[in-house]
Amino acid sequence: MTAGPTAYSFAWSAVWRGLPYLLQGAAFTVFVSALAMVVAVALGLVLAALTEVRGGLARPLVRAYVEVFRNTPLLIQIFIVYFGLPQLGWRLSPFLSGLSALVLYAAAYNAEIFRAGLEAVPRGQHEAARSIGLSELGALRFVIVPQAIRIAFPALGNNLVSLVKNSSLVSTIGMVELMFVANDIAFNNFRTFEIYGAAALLYVLLVLALTRALHLAERRMARAR
Amino acid sequence: MSARVVLESLPYLLRGTLVTVGLSLAVIALGTAAGLTLGVLRFVPWRGVGRGIGWAVEVVRAVPLLLLMFFIFFGLPAIGVGLPTLPAAVLAMSLWMMVNTAEVVRGGIQSIPTGQVEAARSLGLGWVPMMRHVIVPQAVRRMIPPFVGLCTILIKDTSLAAIIGVFELTRAAQETIERTLRSFEIYTVTAAIYFVICFPLTRLAQRAEARLARPS
Repeated sequence: MTAGPTAYSFAWSAVWRGLPYLLQGAAFTVFVSALAMVVAVALGLVLAALTEVRGGLARPLVRAYVEVFRNTPLLIQIFIVYFGLPQLGWRLSPFLSGLSALVLYAAAYNAEIFRAGLEAVPRGQHEAARSIGLSELGALRFVIVPQAIRIAFPALGNNLVSLVKNSSLVSTIGMVELMFVANDIAFNNFRTFEIYGAAALLYVLLVLALTRALHLAERRMARAR
Repeated sequence: MSARVVLESLPYLLRGTLVTVGLSLAVIALGTAAGLTLGVLRFVPWRGVGRGIGWAVEVVRAVPLLLLMFFIFFGLPAIGVGLPTLPAAVLAMSLWMMVNTAEVVRGGIQSIPTGQVEAARSLGLGWVPMMRHVIVPQAVRRMIPPFVGLCTILIKDTSLAAIIGVFELTRAAQETIERTLRSFEIYTVTAAIYFVICFPLTRLAQRAEARLARPS
């Protein structure tokens, strides 16, 4: 027998047998990403609103948070939450550690996206809202924030796509999502080429479906204006 | 908290930092060269070629870098292409950098008004001279902020190489923690080192973007 690429016989049945487990992992990837994004959007919005407050400590603190979490690796952030915090007596499960690390990371980006969105709303909008008798909060709630969200939507969508891909990192602390499942199967049957290929295909399908959906939503939003 | 442990392990962490910097520079050089080429080729006048490149870029971009790395390091040996850890990591990250740079190039070129293409055409310029002298020089200005942002993400993502065993900053941190059991301090210092490298780049990208927004 000659060795080399041609000597390899593919065992796609391994993929077939692993498929239910892989799909379960993919479903969990979707679940974790969606959950993390919902929390990160809420947190990002609050943080962005806080940076609008002049004076006081809120603004510099939020700026520091955003810069620290955007300029350090997500992997290290995950390791600090999962391996570092127990040393301070704060032990979280792999799920909660991974989720909170993903939320903190994505929220830093969201805060920056919302801040840019708020700044992009013309000042006249604020004055107009006030002059028709809306309170400060009313102007924010009904006039400024809805426009800011519309402006921020494409960037938020990109951040969600990144989040789906980044969620693969929580496999390193044992959260059973798509990447973890792929490792689990591949290291048991050694069909690494087929299994990682199948997992990659699942990620591609997930991400492409998501980008298409975001595109449609973006177009609909533009038309509704 | 143990300041002594941190101080004692700092030289080892800095050795890892040097590798991280070298690794990042190598990947940025390789990935950018390939990505620029691919990004420009996406606009060749043959429709099918451009569309094919577009699809390939979109598909590879959809795969998480960690999976790309595992596929190359653990998957390719199964078909007879075994790579040691460092080349495998460099290959995976360069591929990642290539497709993401190509995407930045696409955005830059598409932001150039079509009138520029028509003007170049009416001067009788072929595709290559048009790209070389008219489109790309204008597009490069707009590519700089997202490209610098991309480099920052890449530097942070070199930490993934530690997972397949490449010695760099994150691996150095892991080895230090195995010895000292001080994960909180060591990882925090490691994060701080990454921050010192990445923060100036983020600032640079912001400044470049602000300059673009101002009318020239």
